Amino acid sequence: MKTAIPDSTVDDPRVRPELILGGNDFTTVTDKVAGLMERPRPPRAWYIAFAVSLALTGVLVAMIGYLVLTGVGVWGLNNPVGWGFDITNFVFWVGIGHAGTLISAILFLFRQKWRTSINRFAEAMTIFAVVCAGLFPAIHVGRIWLAWWLFPLPNQQQVWPNFRSPLLWDVFAVSSYMFVSLMFWYMGMIPDLATLRDRAKTKVRQIVYGIFSLGWRGSNRQWHRYERAYLLLAALATPLVVSVHSVVSFDFAASQLPGWHTTVFPPYFVAGAIFSGFAMVMMLIIPARQYFGLKDIVTMRHLDNMSKIILATGSMVGFAYAIEFFMAWYSGNPYEMFTFLNRAMGPYSWAYWIMVSCNVLTPQLFWFKKLRGSIPVLFVASILINVGMWFERFVIIVTSLSRDFLPGSWLSYTPTYVEILTFAGSFGLFFTLFLLFVRYLPMVAMAEVKSVMPQAHLEEGIHKGLGDYWGDMPQQHGEKGGHHRGGKS
Amino acid sequence: MQRADITKDNLQLGARAAKVTWLAGAIGLVAIAAAVLLGLLSSDGGESFATAYLTAFVFFLTLALGALFFVLLQHVTGAGWGVVVRRPAEAIAGVFPLFAVLSIPLLFNLHSIYPWAGGEAASDHVLAGKAAYLNVPFFLIRWIAYFGIWSLMASYFRRTSARQDGSGDPALTIKMERLSAPGMVVFALTATFFSFDVLMSRDPHWYSTIYGVYLFSGSVVGFCAVLPLLTLSLQRWGRIQHAVTREHYHDLGKLTFAFVVFWAYIAFSQFMLMWYSNIPEETSWYLRRLSGPWSGFSLILLLGHFVIPFWLLISRGVKRRPATLAFAASWVLLMHLLDVYWLTMPESSPTSLGFSLMHVLCLAGVGALMIAAVTYNLSRSALIPVGDPRLDESLSFENV
Repeated sequence: MKTAIPDSTVDDPRVRPELILGGNDFTTVTDKVAGLMERPRPPRAWYIAFAVSLALTGVLVAMIGYLVLTGVGVWGLNNPVGWGFDITNFVFWVGIGHAGTLISAILFLFRQKWRTSINRFAEAMTIFAVVCAGLFPAIHVGRIWLAWWLFPLPNQQQVWPNFRSPLLWDVFAVSSYMFVSLMFWYMGMIPDLATLRDRAKTKVRQIVYGIFSLGWRGSNRQWHRYERAYLLLAALATPLVVSVHSVVSFDFAASQLPGWHTTVFPPYFVAGAIFSGFAMVMMLIIPARQYFGLKDIVTMRHLDNMSKIILATGSMVGFAYAIEFFMAWYSGNPYEMFTFLNRAMGPYSWAYWIMVSCNVLTPQLFWFKKLRGSIPVLFVASILINVGMWFERFVIIVTSLSRDFLPGSWLSYTPTYVEILTFAGSFGLFFTLFLLFVRYLPMVAMAEVKSVMPQAHLEEGIHKGLGDYWGDMPQQHGEKGGHHRGGKS
Repeated sequence: MQRADITKDNLQLGARAAKVTWLAGAIGLVAIAAAVLLGLLSSDGGESFATAYLTAFVFFLTLALGALFFVLLQHVTGAGWGVVVRRPAEAIAGVFPLFAVLSIPLLFNLHSIYPWAGGEAASDHVLAGKAAYLNVPFFLIRWIAYFGIWSLMASYFRRTSARQDGSGDPALTIKMERLSAPGMVVFALTATFFSFDVLMSRDPHWYSTIYGVYLFSGSVVGFCAVLPLLTLSLQRWGRIQHAVTREHYHDLGKLTFAFVVFWAYIAFSQFMLMWYSNIPEETSWYLRRLSGPWSGFSLILLLGHFVIPFWLLISRGVKRRPATLAFAASWVLLMHLLDVYWLTMPESSPTSLGFSLMHVLCLAGVGALMIAAVTYNLSRSALIPVGDPRLDESLSFENV
């Protein structure tokens, strides 16, 4: 059944637009989403993408192997620039990992029902991004066989990590974020895994999905417990969304280095993280909805909403840049002033202006509804924003370190091929995990999507008395798409 | 989901409003006159009056800023739940013209509030470097811009919404939504620089990039506390009794809770980073607040502005019962006052808390005039936006 998808991005305050279009009912949603994993083999494009990603992951492994066998001298780091690509990549990937839990926790508490179409996808992205992020601090320590010293484990040398160091807080912040996000993602998936189990045609699928669905039967009591747990987890995960990047910002802001030490860093880092995370979700979901036929589940309205969030957080980031600049002048501190002028006009000014044009100017396109509705614009902008956010971390880290208080200790930093290939390889790891996810797990939260469809609310509105327990509604009725009247009519 | 029946509700403030307006207005004028008189009689060149007046002025003004933010937020998000409480917010945001007038005593006393405006500025090379920004004419230009912009924004959203009461035209909602987004940008800019000007420059050597966010977070906390108190008073007067339900109070309680935590997050970020780095030009500001009687005051702020309201408001029952919510909101409002006091006073009174009759008079004066203005604003249109296309959604709103 191919029907034109009606435009649900039209603003009419009298109506809450339908979130799921195309006359879908519960059955078609399940068929569409679960059907993707039940195909005997994925499309050829998946194999090509997987091969490329896997090859890149191989590059990552090779580069890490070379690093471990040779030492961090294979990187371009020097004294004073002791952090370069490694920590830039770490902050970049942690930032990407913010959208998932924001969508599943904070937007849940804000009753943003549209999040149901994209939350599973974004949460998976979050976890894979945090995996990539965790890699970099672990390998940048030099003697990585001692990386376990990051954890406060009792050992015979009586060596404890410095609990007063933000770097240690980072270990706790990132690992607890990782575990809670994983738990949230998995718990939310249980009803869907049970669906896959029930539909499974092979013994292996039955067993595997059966184990992971933890005996879910969909009883009233199970749903009741599930919803309770979801709310509590959302409330617990919300402070984590904020804390992770705040603690990451402490790594810099707790120092005394101009350009690092500034009080606005925590909220500004969080805004930047959400900004880049949403851009990454956008970048991934645009091809995904296209290739997997999910355009009526992830509709233009979803993209429109996401681009509004990108505009809001991007403007916050731009605002923070401006305030930092103003305060550098207002402080009357010559080192502060120098640092910011050096960023804009010094040897790394090219990176600074890439950052400004990608992060501040690009999202301003989203003031215009027409541009928010254009897939090519959204896609290109989301890539540019990711580029810009990577450069933001690069600018913060490298410009401040390479030009500190004493000109005698100034030194420039140029990455080596090992660093560049390691970074490229981390994308390989990310996409490998992601492609496995879209192949074996439901990329849309089926159960949650169904809960925001009109069929789930047969006691109210014009749907009253229509449809049945299974969510079947007369097709004619469903096809009215985005033009239902909410409330009474 | 039952839509609340508001056909029997009294949606107008009626004749009683005029009485309250006049009475509160008279009390306010008398109190401010007494404060001015007391200031003229004192031997400190009006400094005690100026700082006390500044505290009261900023405290009440931040409530209005919080209200303006709330109105903008409702529109920019296209929120449905909050329609029935938007009118009181619009009324509170409508006091900016009054505050423009009330700022006259401040503007005459700039030299006793801000070191950069006084005589010692000339001999201070740090201040000389900032003179391009911190000088009286530019300060006045900015001041006029802030109050002009805020008055215009608040009046636009209040008037447009009132116009919709008659016509019910959904196009007006779309128009307000469109304008609220750039409105947010303007709000962020003006509120941030206002915070630098009005409070941060009290210690012109000191600076903090998060300061604007700090004052903003406190403003929204203060407003979130005032809104349920105002709505509850209206209901006690027999107005809008069915329109605003415990579901709306529950949400307002959640919002208060969220901003209490947000305030704590911002306050902690600023304090921790300055304490940790221990750079003398930054720690001086905190040193003042952590020595003498101010150290105990800071501790009260930590407990009273975060720990206690956190545990109070985390409970669902507290947010849903009018009596307990009113208590929690009053507490939070008092703490916001202490916060503003803590931001304002240590610069002029580092060794004592400096609380005096002057503060009582100024708070009573500015507060009473604000009540008069809010009551007047409320009496100008219906107490809920009866023409809002999302009114039904708000009336049938339930927390599930």
